[in-house]
Amino acid sequence: MPEQLTDKIEPTVSKVMRTPRSLDIEITARCNLRCRYCYFFNNPTVEYRDLSTNEWLKFFDELGSLGVMNVTLAGGEPFIREDLTTLLEGLVRNRMRFSLLSNGALIGDEIAAFLARTGRCEYVQVSVDGSCAEVHDSCRGKGSFEGAIRGIRTLQRHQISVAVRVTIHRYNIDDLENIAHFLLEELGLPGFGTNSAGYLGTCRLNADDVMLTIAERQLAMATLLRLAEKYPNRISASAGPLAEGLTWRRMELARAQGKPAFYNGGRLTACGCPSSKISVRADGAIVLCSMLAHVELGRINHDSLAEIWQNSPALNQLRNRHTIPLTGFEFCAGCSYIPYCTGNCPGLAYTITGQVDHPSPDACLRRFLEGGGAIP
Amino acid sequence: MNQTDKPIANPIVVLREEFDDWAVLFNPDTAAAMGTNPVGVAVWKRMDGKRSLEDIVSEIRNSFEDTPDAVFKEIAAFVDTLAEKGFVGLEVESK
Repeated sequence: MPEQLTDKIEPTVSKVMRTPRSLDIEITARCNLRCRYCYFFNNPTVEYRDLSTNEWLKFFDELGSLGVMNVTLAGGEPFIREDLTTLLEGLVRNRMRFSLLSNGALIGDEIAAFLARTGRCEYVQVSVDGSCAEVHDSCRGKGSFEGAIRGIRTLQRHQISVAVRVTIHRYNIDDLENIAHFLLEELGLPGFGTNSAGYLGTCRLNADDVMLTIAERQLAMATLLRLAEKYPNRISASAGPLAEGLTWRRMELARAQGKPAFYNGGRLTACGCPSSKISVRADGAIVLCSMLAHVELGRINHDSLAEIWQNSPALNQLRNRHTIPLTGFEFCAGCSYIPYCTGNCPGLAYTITGQVDHPSPDACLRRFLEGGGAIP
Repeated sequence: MNQTDKPIANPIVVLREEFDDWAVLFNPDTAAAMGTNPVGVAVWKRMDGKRSLEDIVSEIRNSFEDTPDAVFKEIAAFVDTLAEKGFVGLEVESK
């Protein structure tokens, strides 16, 4: 018998868990806004319809029986659901914690008080893209800034953890300094996260207008790297210019010094999501990820989630993506960054190239440099 | 009412048996979590408020091969850790 009965939660094995730890659920296909770079809408493979309260509650019972720990409710706009408190009670009853991704505008005192009472709300993420209405509303629509800030202040009044996400696009790159000041010093948030408008959903229709050019990307990168030094540990990113700036600096340094390959370099290792979580669309389709929403693995309340989790060929193929070497892609031929590259997001790889098992051109350092970019 | 020496698992705590040799205990009210091995899982499943710690250790000795001499001490420490985290209480009995 092993001497230690407990250990920190860090399984070192690469086996598949019996059930997912967490789920991303698009709880509604409705939204009060129509943001110009929304990843959710305008995906031709998705059916935009809502399920009933009882359909979700039945599914939450299944999640409870599987020991799922966390659920993130997104949409659409989750606070648009009139039955949101009933749905959240279903999660609480099934011993789960939850988070919500929101534009903030529909968050009032009543629902905020409810969230606080559950004691199970990890955080509410609110999107803020500008330090003022003029910038924020440029891509999100008139009145959306006021709604977002009102929502944040309401959550703060009820001591609910607020996670702000700033999506960087062509209309706010000159406002980043003001945004940081506004969020961290005026609103008093502990920190905020950043990403950038990605080539998904509605953004594909407006790509030339909202997505950053190489020069703008370089500017955003430089500004965010400077702000990250000014506000240590308060600005984060798992994608977008800040994440790229930090990663690309490491990659360039390693390449220039002839360092050994990164532990996750040289293969399509970027996405670890399928090892611990899975997604559900608003219409009840179980999918690989909200960014790979076209790959339907089954239907809630019809197919066993545990069965899909353990045996879905598509899911297992995504899990095995990390074994695919970058050297096998013509796209990567001759690239000196291969030992330090992870191939990046499979969702963006798919929307740009039509292949999931392909490096994403969007976050390719060599492509950025060949296009005239420079790492700040 | 008196406390007994019979540990009882907090019913709000979730046991996730993630792998053959690995499980997680998770308290959704506090977000506290801890990993445990199959022996810990076996102990957890026996903390029903009816078995004493000695009963549980005895069953573990019978269920697992090569249990060390210090098994009682180890399991007692495990239960203490669980109690500190609010994962376990002691059953009470009315006089």
